[in-house]
Amino acid sequence: MKSFRRITYPYVAWILVMILAPMLLIMLYAFTTAGNEVTTFKFTLANFAKFLTDRDYIEVLIRSLVVAVETTAICLLLGYPIAYCLAKLPEKNNLLMILLITMPTWINMLVRTYAWMGILQDNGVINNILGWFGLGRVKMLYTDFAVILGMVYNFIPFMILQIHTSLAKMDKSLLEAANDLGANRTQAFLRVTLPLSLPGVISGITLVFLPAVSSFFIPKLLGGGQFVLVGNVIESRFLTAGDWNFGSAISLIMAVIIMLSMWLTRKVDATPASAGKE
Amino acid sequence: MTETKRTSVGSKIILGLTLLFFYAPILYIILFSFNASRSLTTFTGFSLQWYEKMFANATMMESILYTVLIAVLATVLSTVIGTLTAIGLSKSRKIVQQLVERLNDLPVMNPEIVTAIGLLMFFSALAIRKGFLTMLLAHVMFCTPYVMLSVTPKLRSLDPNLTDAAMDLGATPMQAIMKVIVPQIRPGILSGALIAFTMSFDDFIISYFVTGNGVQNISILVYTMSKRVNPSINALSTLIIIMITFVLGIVNLVPILRSHTAKSERDPKKRRVMLAAIAAVLVVAIGVGAALGVGSAKARRQDAIEKYGSATLKLYITGEYLGENVISDFEKQYGVDVIIEYFDSNEMMYTKLQAGDSYDVVIPSDYMIELLMEQDQLQPLDHELLPNLPLLAEEVQNLPFDPDNTYAVPYFWGSVGIVYNEQNVDPEDVESQGWEVLRNTKYKGHTYVYDSERDSFMMAFKALGYSMNTSDPDEVREAYEWLLEMNNTMDPTYVTDEVIDGMISGEKDIAVVYSGDAAVILDENEDMRFWMPEEGTNIWYDCMVIMKNAENPLLAHEFINYMLTYEAAYDNAETVGYSSPNAEVLELMATDPDLYGENEAYLPRSGYELDESFENNQALKKMLADYWIKVKAAQG
Repeated sequence: MKSFRRITYPYVAWILVMILAPMLLIMLYAFTTAGNEVTTFKFTLANFAKFLTDRDYIEVLIRSLVVAVETTAICLLLGYPIAYCLAKLPEKNNLLMILLITMPTWINMLVRTYAWMGILQDNGVINNILGWFGLGRVKMLYTDFAVILGMVYNFIPFMILQIHTSLAKMDKSLLEAANDLGANRTQAFLRVTLPLSLPGVISGITLVFLPAVSSFFIPKLLGGGQFVLVGNVIESRFLTAGDWNFGSAISLIMAVIIMLSMWLTRKVDATPASAGKE
Repeated sequence: MTETKRTSVGSKIILGLTLLFFYAPILYIILFSFNASRSLTTFTGFSLQWYEKMFANATMMESILYTVLIAVLATVLSTVIGTLTAIGLSKSRKIVQQLVERLNDLPVMNPEIVTAIGLLMFFSALAIRKGFLTMLLAHVMFCTPYVMLSVTPKLRSLDPNLTDAAMDLGATPMQAIMKVIVPQIRPGILSGALIAFTMSFDDFIISYFVTGNGVQNISILVYTMSKRVNPSINALSTLIIIMITFVLGIVNLVPILRSHTAKSERDPKKRRVMLAAIAAVLVVAIGVGAALGVGSAKARRQDAIEKYGSATLKLYITGEYLGENVISDFEKQYGVDVIIEYFDSNEMMYTKLQAGDSYDVVIPSDYMIELLMEQDQLQPLDHELLPNLPLLAEEVQNLPFDPDNTYAVPYFWGSVGIVYNEQNVDPEDVESQGWEVLRNTKYKGHTYVYDSERDSFMMAFKALGYSMNTSDPDEVREAYEWLLEMNNTMDPTYVTDEVIDGMISGEKDIAVVYSGDAAVILDENEDMRFWMPEEGTNIWYDCMVIMKNAENPLLAHEFINYMLTYEAAYDNAETVGYSSPNAEVLELMATDPDLYGENEAYLPRSGYELDESFENNQALKKMLADYWIKVKAAQG
C-alpha cells in the first residue's frame, strides 16, 4: 500500500504551506497585542480573555451556533427527501437536475441575497401578492425567518449533493434482498438505505454547518444588522476596526469549538456506519 | 412497478417545488435587469440601459473571463488533487488521515476573512506579485477540501478488497485507481467538482485580498459596484445565466444527437463532449478577452512611456465613485491605461496597502490620510505638476489634516444628515429634535441607522453635545448608552448601502444618510427631505494621494491635475452626486435647477462651528467597534 500513501505526500506538503502557514500567522496575531502596524510583538492572552469574559460576545457565539444548527437541521430535513427523489430519477435526467440545482449557486451570493430582500421586504413581491388577495402585510425581511431562509437557500445545495452522492449507485440488490426477506418499504429504507447514506449525510452536515457558523453577509443583509453573528464580529474586527489581534483570537476560539463538535459528529458517524457494513 | 410510478409523481412535485424555490430569486434578478430605474426593488418600466452599461464596461467583460478561467482551472486542479489524495489517505495510517482531515476543515470552517488575511500576509511574506497566479493558488487551496469532503464518504463505503484484488490480478496502483476505484466513486467526484466550481465562481473576500494588478473576478466587481446600487450587476448575472444555460444545453443536447448516429457508448463519450463544450466556452471567452485587450491605442502609448516612464496608472478607489466617461477620456487624452481597483471601506484599502500592494493614486478619507501621513506612506505632491490646484473650491481649502495640500488633493466631500419622508414624519420633529429624532418612539420600527461604529457614535456624540473626536471614556460610555437605548426602544434596522434603495422605495421613514446618497434619494423620491441637525455633524473629505511606493508618480500627478479640471469634475459630480471640489462645478451643481439646484442634500454646510471631521485615533476606533457590536447584539 506504500504506493497509495505516496500520492498523498504532495498534498500534505501543500497543506503545510498553503493552509498551515497562513493559520500560524493568524495565531501569531491572536497571541499578541502589537496590532498590524508595528513589528514588535508582545505575547498576551488578553485577546482571548476579552472575548471569553464578556457576556455579550458569549451570547453572540451561542446564537451563531444555534443558527447554524437550525440551518443544518432544516437543510437536512428538506435536503434528504429532495436527494432521495433525485436518486430515483433515470440517470439521464439525474445529471440535468443536479446541474439545475447547482446553477443558482453560481450567481453571485450578494445578487441573490439582494433579490431575496426585494422578495421579502414590506412592499416586496410576497407582500404585494398577499395584498391582491386582500391579506395584510407580513414583516419578513429583517427577521430571524429571513436569515434562516437565506442561509438554507445558500447552503442546501451542498446537503442535497452530498446525500445524493451517497444514494446514487447504491447497490440496488441490497434493497431487493431486504424485500425478499419480507421487509416492507419503510423497513427497507430505515435498515438499508438510511445507514448506507449516513456518510453522505455527515459530509453534508459538515458542508452546511461549517460555513453557516461563520456566515456574515446573509445575517447582515437579511437580518438588518441587528442579527449579529460571530462571523460579523470577526469581519468587523478585520475590516472596520483594524483590530487583527482580537479578530484572530475570536476565530481561533471558534475554530476550536467547531473542531470539537465535528469530532463528535464524526464519532457518531463511525459507529453506525461500521455497524451497517458488518 | 405501480409503486415506482406513484413515487415518481410525488418526486416530481417535490422536485418541482425545489426548483421553484431555487429559481424564484433568479427570475427576480432577470426581471430587474430590465428595470428602467436604478431601484433593485421597485420595477418602473422596461429598459436595456443596464445591459448597455455592462457591455460598455471593459472591466466587467474582463472579469467574466478571469472568473471562468480561474473557476475551471481551480476545479480541474482541485478535483484531481483532492481525489487522488483522498484515495491515498484511505490507505494511509489513521493518524495521518485524521491530521489531514482536521487541517482540511480549516478553510471550510474559518470565516473567509481569516483565510484571506492569512493568505494575504503569507503571499506578502513571500513577495509574490499578486494577480492571476496568487488567486488561482488560493482557489485551489480552498476548493480541494470540498472535493475531499465529497469523495471520502464514497471511498469509505467502498470494499477495501477491491483494490487488492485488482492489484493481485496484475494492475499497477495507477491502473487500480483509474479502472477500479474512480468508476466506483464517480458521483462523489462529480459533486466535489461541482461544489469546487461553485466555491471558486462565487468567491469574493479571499479573491479580493489575494489578487492585484487589475485581475478581478465577477464577485469583486459586484461587491464593489453594489456600493451605490447598480442594476448592471443584475444584467451581469443574467448574462451568466444565459451562458450557463447555453453550455448546459450543449452538454445535454449533443449526446442525444450523437446517440442517433452512433449507438450507445455511454459514459466516456459524455465526458469527452462535456470537455469539448468547456473547451469551446474557454476559447470563446479567451477570444472575447483578447479582442478587448487589443482595443487600446498602441501608438500614443509610446509617447506616454517616454513622457512618464510607463503608460499605466494604478488607481485604488471606492466603488461607484467615478464619472461615466472620466477614465476613458483621460486614457484617450494621454494615451495611457488606467487599471482601477475598488475598495469598500478605508480599512479594507489600508489592509491591502499594509501587505505592500502598490498603487499610484489612492482616494481615502480624511482620518485615513492622516494615518497614512503619520506612517510616512505618502509622497509629497509636486505643486508644479498640479497647475489646476487653484481651481479648488474655497470650502475644501485649508483642510485641518493637510492645510497646504502637501499630500492630498480633495476629490469629493460631503456631510451626514437625516433623510425623512415628509408624508409620514413631521418636519417639525426632525428640525427641533435633530439626531434625537432617531430615539423618538413615535417612529419606532421606521428608522434606518448607518451600520458603522464611526457614523453611529458621531450621531450620539453630537446629540449629547460632545466632540466626535473625544477620547474621554466617560463620554464614550454615555454615547454607548445613548445608542443602546435607541437600539432597545426603536427597533432600528442597521444598513449600509441598502439604505439608498430602501429610502427610494419608501420602506422606512427616517434614515441616517451620507449627503451624496441623500441627493440620489431625493432625486428619485419626491417625498423625501434632507436635514442637517443643528447639534452638528460629520463633514468629510475624500482626497487623492500618491503612495510612496507608486510605480508611476509622474502620471499620478497628471491624473490628479486632470481630475481637478472642470470637465472631469463635472462628469464626476453629475454621475456620483457628491459635492465637487472644483469651485465652478460646485457652484453650477448647487444652483442649476436641472442639476442639483433644488436638491437640499447636495451642498453641505460649511464653516458651521459644531461640524467636525474625524481625526485619526486608532485606540478610539477599536473602543467604538467593541461598543458598537454590543449595541447591535443587545436585543438579539
